Amino acid sequence: MADAPLLQLQGITKCYGSLLANDSVGFDLGRGEVLGILGENGAGKSTLMNVISGLIRPDGGTMQLEGRTVAFSSPREAAEAGIGMVHQHFKLVGALTVAENLALGDPRWGRRALLRFDELKSSISEIARRLGIEVDFEARVDRLTVGQQQRVEIMKVLSRRPRLLILDEPTAVLSQEERPALFRMVAELAAQGTSVIIISHKLEDILDSCRRVVVMRHGRVVSVSDVGGKSRDDLIRLLVGDDLPVLRPKGLPTEEGRCLLRAAGLSVRRPNGTVALHDVGFELRRGEILALCGVEGNGQSELVQVVTGLLKPDAGRLDYWFDEGGGYPDAAVLRRAGVCHIPEDRLRDGVLVDAPLTDNFLLTHLGNAQFNRQGWLQPAMVEAAVAEAVSAYAVKTPGSRAAMSQLSGGNQQKLVLARELASDPSLIVAAHPTRGLDVKTIAFINNQLLARRSAGAGVLLASADLAEVWQIADRIMVLSAGRLHGPLRVSDTTIQEVGRWMTQR
Amino acid sequence: MSANPTLIAGGGPQMRKPLWWAALAVVIVTALVPALFIVAAGKNPLTAYVALLAYTLGSTNGFYEVLTHSIPLMLVGLGVAIAFRAGAFNIGGDGQFLMGAMAAFACAPLFAGLPQPLGLVLYLAAGFAGGAVLGALVGWLLVRFRASEIISTIVLNFIVLQLLSWVIRGPLQEPSRLMPWSDYLPETLLLPNLIPGSRVHYGLVVAIVAVAVLAVLVKKTAFGFRLTAVGRNPFAARYAGLREKRVVVWAMLISAGMAGLAGSVQVAGIHERLQDNFSSGYGQAAIAIALMARLSPLWVPPMALLFAVFYVGAGVLQREANIPFPIVYIIEGVVILGFLCFDAIAGKKEAS
Amino acid sequence: MDLMIAGLAAAGIRLSISIAFAALGETVSQRAGVMNVGLEGIMLFSAFLAAAGAVYSGSPWGGVVLAILGGLLLAAVHGWVSIYLCANQIVSGLALVFLGAGLSGVGYRLTIGGAPVTIPSFPAVNFGPLREIPFIGPVFFSHTLLVYIAIALAIVLYLALPRTGWGLELRAAGENPHAADAAGINVNRYRLMAVLFGGAMAGLGGAFLVLAQVNAFVEGMVAGRGFIAIACVVFGGWNPLGVLIACMGFGLADALQIRLQTWYPGIPYQFFVMMPYGVALVALVIFASRSFGPAALGLPFRSLRARRSAS
Repeated sequence: MADAPLLQLQGITKCYGSLLANDSVGFDLGRGEVLGILGENGAGKSTLMNVISGLIRPDGGTMQLEGRTVAFSSPREAAEAGIGMVHQHFKLVGALTVAENLALGDPRWGRRALLRFDELKSSISEIARRLGIEVDFEARVDRLTVGQQQRVEIMKVLSRRPRLLILDEPTAVLSQEERPALFRMVAELAAQGTSVIIISHKLEDILDSCRRVVVMRHGRVVSVSDVGGKSRDDLIRLLVGDDLPVLRPKGLPTEEGRCLLRAAGLSVRRPNGTVALHDVGFELRRGEILALCGVEGNGQSELVQVVTGLLKPDAGRLDYWFDEGGGYPDAAVLRRAGVCHIPEDRLRDGVLVDAPLTDNFLLTHLGNAQFNRQGWLQPAMVEAAVAEAVSAYAVKTPGSRAAMSQLSGGNQQKLVLARELASDPSLIVAAHPTRGLDVKTIAFINNQLLARRSAGAGVLLASADLAEVWQIADRIMVLSAGRLHGPLRVSDTTIQEVGRWMTQR
Repeated sequence: MSANPTLIAGGGPQMRKPLWWAALAVVIVTALVPALFIVAAGKNPLTAYVALLAYTLGSTNGFYEVLTHSIPLMLVGLGVAIAFRAGAFNIGGDGQFLMGAMAAFACAPLFAGLPQPLGLVLYLAAGFAGGAVLGALVGWLLVRFRASEIISTIVLNFIVLQLLSWVIRGPLQEPSRLMPWSDYLPETLLLPNLIPGSRVHYGLVVAIVAVAVLAVLVKKTAFGFRLTAVGRNPFAARYAGLREKRVVVWAMLISAGMAGLAGSVQVAGIHERLQDNFSSGYGQAAIAIALMARLSPLWVPPMALLFAVFYVGAGVLQREANIPFPIVYIIEGVVILGFLCFDAIAGKKEAS
Repeated sequence: MDLMIAGLAAAGIRLSISIAFAALGETVSQRAGVMNVGLEGIMLFSAFLAAAGAVYSGSPWGGVVLAILGGLLLAAVHGWVSIYLCANQIVSGLALVFLGAGLSGVGYRLTIGGAPVTIPSFPAVNFGPLREIPFIGPVFFSHTLLVYIAIALAIVLYLALPRTGWGLELRAAGENPHAADAAGINVNRYRLMAVLFGGAMAGLGGAFLVLAQVNAFVEGMVAGRGFIAIACVVFGGWNPLGVLIACMGFGLADALQIRLQTWYPGIPYQFFVMMPYGVALVALVIFASRSFGPAALGLPFRSLRARRSAS
């Protein structure tokens, strides 16, 4: 390890309107070092990484790479200087092959009159071999598993032989068993002299792979220290500050809750031919939270869509408490009967972004006679309901006539929650309801779900966050490659066992 | 055209509130375009425009002509607005117009003997139905097979055009079998004159009633809400259980029905018989009208009047400066582009 | 009988070319992610320009040049509005249809519309003895130059899209512009180039109609071909060779329809004229449900650098 740092940051500042995303951020990174950037969602980590990797320019501050001051005006410049970034949301083109994706934009093989696949393959194979990885060049990227896609993304960055590799939330899409392989690769890279920065909001990632950690909160660096030097609790306190929101006590689940939904033999095939669900069956009862876990891409989304009437399965039965016919009622029927759905992709599926809050509220309440009398809308009632929801859920909005787009992500989600729960549903399907939100809002939402559970509703919670699930779920089931494990009482199993299920074939 | 559950990529045209300065800018730009041609023809644009306005808005004859033209423009424009609002690009207004006219005319013998208002109402209903059938077909093809409504409506336009051509030279031809048009519509089914001394007929009343009905439908009813929601975000509409496919088919049905109604009104009020291609590009103009009205039924009448001024004014420009009639199409194109530009610029301002 | 089929095939090829130019151009444009429904307007305008250009310059090439320029001009408007102003591509394309129709009508009536004119047109390419080969001669070796250019274009595009650097980057721009952007590709510049190419090709299509197919100009002669071209892009699965074959299918239907009119004078001719459109409708229904276009088709793209990005 040479003494001179590879990268030095001083006073990096970036503003988005009134939001101070980065506030005078500074730290050093040594050669061959693995550094963690720890911060909850909204702390400013991604903005900082976008600055380092050349995607955006800071409003203030300086950056030195190997002693020389640099200011990148494009990711290409940063890449040429030796900085490579693997984004959380992969920048891969699904319809193209692995080889084509690797060639894209690369002056050696892609930015030429005639593409040079042979040279590309030999160069990449060399890197892959040294890291112990296999690469299938001819596969279409959208047919690969998420873990494989991540490896392609990493190969693409490594092919430029960067001196600094930045990984943004790398374990978000990996299963428990795939994590060690990733961290082994990181350690090998560091040993070969490449510095690595790992950005994450998960403490385990940082503890398992990094030597030093930079903790960020509200755009500021609150601590730079060796991982070994601080206790877990210390780091948590640095991460979230001192006012840790408390979850309500769970209380015992209602033992003999009536069965709300019985699924049996559900099978779904995706348009591209892969199996999303295979012979899936389970029961959801009143007064419980049933967690559906699994690595992204293993069938969670499809199961949620089937249960909420948005996707017809190829085979299987669905018996709801109001309709034991075994058929597939559509979303309209389900909503009328008391099933609500907090969607995974709020912006695409859940809201009308440019429309006012009242329209967004009414969207799923057209079946309510209060708001829709024989086909005639009752705008005054809708406004009243929205006002009530806004105050009950502490939604920060610029005004009563505000459009959905004027709310922050957390407030939008709170409004969606308010809307869905306003009809007093018996069955709540919540798909990743707390993803990407700050700790306070996460706790608020979880408390709401717990409250409904105590009141007798049944909740199907799709989540990728095992730690969170352990805190609020009663039973848990895991989807892995379309096959279901469980459901099992949370008290009858451990996080490790569940983690193992998530990787079984 | 791309892989989404119902419709076109990107959702329907924006329904933002019109900015007064944007509207003014568009009007100015639109006025400049014919001015260029007038100058090129060696005439003074100002005198030409003054003559245009003097005739269309200043003289009773001119204004009545404007009103007459505004009737079909209003009806088809309403229809286009409804379809676009749901995100379905119905650009087959001309074909649906002709289809409705043919259907109503074909059914006319059934209604001729009935007491006056009843027969006429049934005749108009047949016109609506004629267009509506076409619209429902297009809508069904769209939601069931993902067949682009842009292509299917245009293709149907050409098919209907040929159908009309055959019908007026064949089964519905006038009795002497010499001329390419149909016999006259029975007298009891003609729309009476509204303003004596002009061609303005009771079709204007029909149009105004339609505006009122559709305005209420769109703004105050659950159906109208579903329509708008589907156009804004078909994914969210699906998620919310709005049965977006059904909504789209109904939207196309109503939209094409309005065009069909316009066709039957035009025959009963002006032409009194079927002849070759008498849709005069109303279907096309209706698209520009609907966009200018920001897809709101209440704004369709003023925009229809504006376009009627263009239509009648084009005749004036032809007399004054030898500008050929197709200048109206150029104006339509410029108006749409103008609105798109200012809409986009306003959108960027909002976002920043 | 042989002669009849040969004549039909030759006519089918000839009648498909104007659509093929427009469709091939639109294929490139759509693969890059931009839809242009205004092809009809471009073809109308270019048809007039081709006629006027040929008449005033005395040579069909004058018409071709003017037609391509016209196509570039209209496409540039559409490109700027939909790519850089991020306006709705379909509405912008529709505006082009009206604009093109108006410019064509006004232009024609103000210039060559007065008296009948002869329009210098393209002669068939002289292949000498090859032309005499029975069946193959009339079908393949009796066409004008532009026909061969269109076919060559399809082949070149078919080979170039998967194998060249610009082909790869163009496809990436149409499938996932964010990924292309992150790879350092100027997505919007590619899209603009693609749209301009599409406009030039549609212009060439309009020119072909006047200078090599009908050899005259009539208002409204494009008769929906611009829209059929868009349909052919779907039928051909956004693959240049598939698109060419789809266009030839339509051309064949058109050629057949004309002959059927004379073979069956008892049936009203309007039904035969309807036929190709009916075929197009049926084909649309069959193919649309099967194919998926470029993932980012129709969606405007703004580079991350200009956007707010939340952390």
